[in-house]
Amino acid sequence: MLQAHSLLWHYLWVAPNILLLFLAFLLWRRGIREQYPIFFAFAIVGAIEQLVIYAADVIPTASPETWWRIFWVGLVVEGLLKFALLGEIFANVFASYSSLARLGKILTRGVGGVLTLAGAAAAAFAPKDSLFGIVSGAHLLEQTIYLIECGLLVTVFLFSAYFRLRPARPVFGIALGLGISSCFHLATWAVAANGELSESGRSVLDLLHMAAYHVCVLIWFYYLLAPQKVTAKAAVPLPENNLDVWNRELERLVH
Amino acid sequence: MTIAIILVVAALVTLIVILTFTVSQGLQSSGRTGLATEIRPIDVAAFRNLVDPAEDDYLRRRLPASDFRLVRRERLRAMAAYVQLAKRNAAVLVRIAQNSTSAADAQTAEAARRLEDNAHLLQRNCTFAIMKIYIALAWPSSNLAAAPVLQGYAQLNNSAMLLGRLQNPAATMRI
Repeated sequence: MLQAHSLLWHYLWVAPNILLLFLAFLLWRRGIREQYPIFFAFAIVGAIEQLVIYAADVIPTASPETWWRIFWVGLVVEGLLKFALLGEIFANVFASYSSLARLGKILTRGVGGVLTLAGAAAAAFAPKDSLFGIVSGAHLLEQTIYLIECGLLVTVFLFSAYFRLRPARPVFGIALGLGISSCFHLATWAVAANGELSESGRSVLDLLHMAAYHVCVLIWFYYLLAPQKVTAKAAVPLPENNLDVWNRELERLVH
Repeated sequence: MTIAIILVVAALVTLIVILTFTVSQGLQSSGRTGLATEIRPIDVAAFRNLVDPAEDDYLRRRLPASDFRLVRRERLRAMAAYVQLAKRNAAVLVRIAQNSTSAADAQTAEAARRLEDNAHLLQRNCTFAIMKIYIALAWPSSNLAAAPVLQGYAQLNNSAMLLGRLQNPAATMRI
């Protein structure tokens, strides 16, 4: 069951990507595509890339080297798309808060720079495999991408929590799914890139991050397509006070 | 393997942060009444006295250097307490404003949006001011600029007053 090429393994590799393509179709049908164009592109390109890698894995004529070459191309394209998607998330989160937009931009740029250095350092200190450089290189690139992605996402979540920002529901859903996915992927790729794992250990890690990705696709479905529950809020009772006096006093102090 | 352990722990911490934020968002959106009562009034006159550079100059001239540093540190601690309170009030006002941004009345919704923006600005200014205060605590002889906090607070007060008047013309909101 928890082995490569088991039924569960096939399901977890194929189903989330089929669902992601279906989500892209629904976004296009409902006109949501225009609001989140990068996510729409990510859903299509990411799903197709994974399905191509899957096909290369199950087709007997595809050699391991061909598989890893396809994997590399997919990895680079997906990595670029993910960073573009992060840009879309940041733009949407900060767009509604003009007073914080500049600070947010400076913060994310700074954190991005630090994370890139940290990713490079982590890759530099990881054990190298000269025999299968194409494999260990892919693991290290994955680790670096997910480290930066994780760090940038946790920054936006902490920033939002600190300032009590309320991002739009779809943006929050995209960030949540991407965040959970990147956490699981970072952990699994870090173990894959740095640890001496047995074949069965690698299979369990594969299944773990495929299952996490499946959950994330379902999260995207929920946040992007399920309508927001509208709750009638009671009007905030305001206390009687002497704000006029305070305001006059404050203005006198400031000017 | 050490790097793997560090990265796994980092991923776990990130996951906890993300899930905690998700749960808190859910709790926030369920709404709460009586938020206005959480606002604690601030003695602006006392705060003004604390941030007044003329007061500091006067104390610097009148007191021996060691005594001045002692007094200055006490004043900075008091200043930090005021700024923390202003920041807390701003956070409450953010929540009040967020409850009103979807109001049916366009004027109230606009006032709520302005209040939220001003409250965020004040939160940001308070954050920087607190950092400056703690730096000044290490070097009590340095000058400290807390003007942006006062300015932000005045703007916030205007916005809160406008929203209060729109929601309840008979009463206004005190911060």
